[in-house]
Amino acid sequence: MNVNETTVDRRTMLRVAGATAIGLPLAGCIERIGDETGATREDLVLAPPASHDRARETDVPHPIYGDDLPEATVQAPLHDRSVTTTEFVGDRATMLTFVFTSCTTVCPGLTSTLRRIQADSIERGYADEIAFQTVTFDPEYDTTDVLREYGEKQGVDFDVGNWYFLRPETPARATSVVEDTFGVAFERADESDPTESENETTDDDHTESDGETGDTDHDGMNESDGDTDETHDGHGRSHRHFVHTSLVLLVNRDGLVERAYAGGPPAPRTVLDDARTVVEEG
Amino acid sequence: MRRRELIAGGAALATLGGAGALAVTDWQPGSDDGGVEPVELAAISGQGEEGDTVTVPERGRVSLVELFATSCDVCSRQMAPLGRVAERVGDDVQVVSVTNEPLGGTVTRADVADWWTAHEGTWPVAHDADLDLTSALNAVSVPYTVVLDAENRVDWRHSGYADHATLLARLEEARA
Repeated sequence: MNVNETTVDRRTMLRVAGATAIGLPLAGCIERIGDETGATREDLVLAPPASHDRARETDVPHPIYGDDLPEATVQAPLHDRSVTTTEFVGDRATMLTFVFTSCTTVCPGLTSTLRRIQADSIERGYADEIAFQTVTFDPEYDTTDVLREYGEKQGVDFDVGNWYFLRPETPARATSVVEDTFGVAFERADESDPTESENETTDDDHTESDGETGDTDHDGMNESDGDTDETHDGHGRSHRHFVHTSLVLLVNRDGLVERAYAGGPPAPRTVLDDARTVVEEG
Repeated sequence: MRRRELIAGGAALATLGGAGALAVTDWQPGSDDGGVEPVELAAISGQGEEGDTVTVPERGRVSLVELFATSCDVCSRQMAPLGRVAERVGDDVQVVSVTNEPLGGTVTRADVADWWTAHEGTWPVAHDADLDLTSALNAVSVPYTVVLDAENRVDWRHSGYADHATLLARLEEARA
């Protein structure tokens, strides 16, 4: 039911993406509440996030607290099969995020958010109670080999069997899954203003601009993507860049979203506490 | 209010920006006033004695704390400017790098020590195993660099690459 409800206003999302391109933060941080999903508090482990009331009034394209995990079936190339995002509902908690691997700023943060929980799940013995799905929206670049190499570099443990890289097979399919089904906007934006990198390194004033400093994750993409030598050997496509909604979903065993961390990688401790709680009490 | 209306005007965008930034950093006004509580972190072996700890950030002197991960390319690139800074500053400045990646599984303490050597790190390096420092500094990404004054008040924080001139300038300000 939630798939229908995650109404996609493509025009709005692209405007959001456009705002980011000119240096403003993604607006996905304001969360709408799933007030028509039929989910009740008893189905949810965590209390509503702090932004709950405010979120109720806005219409964020991606699923938020209380929403059903949207369903899509996508190829998992490292597993030689397709995986449905809801495959583990009823059995495990699920964490999802959406990346392009040639990004060197926020995306490693998103993947490392999941990787940190995976490491914790192994250490604390709940690896078979949670599944991780990282969906690429750049299938042209993110081939099977690229995804494997990227995962290894990020420290993903493939042996434990709870990590899935999902790869929509075409850009059109990526749009369908990532943007239309999950409400995660993305837009190719390879040619960016080179002067932004200058702003990034000299960015400073600590006082009331803390908020803006936090945003340099996004602004700084250009700067870091310019770092061609180490990250893109062999591919020769060093300036691939996407503007995109930053989203990590934490979904409970019943398939309900407990947390939708948006606006950049969430605080590691917060996610760790949330994920442990959802697994242990869900 | 519908989202479309929210983003219709510049003022609305500014409002969203503020809210978004708070969500990103967990920063709370006034949270830095009392200074960051120092944390005892395990030193990465291969450098000091096994079982050594590093106090981060130290009270009594200015600190430059860098959070990093070995999986992070920008962190690799950040090592050169950090090295130049570590060379230049005196004993009145603590320069320390801290990885907050989970160690023991796919990435081990020895891997970090190897990475550190390969990137010519000469200053103290430690592991924030329980994310205590990461949380205290509200760090959500790497590399993440923080300059604190002698009372451990955060003078400057920066996400992403920072060149050595910027770092030295910020340290100078924190010492003033």
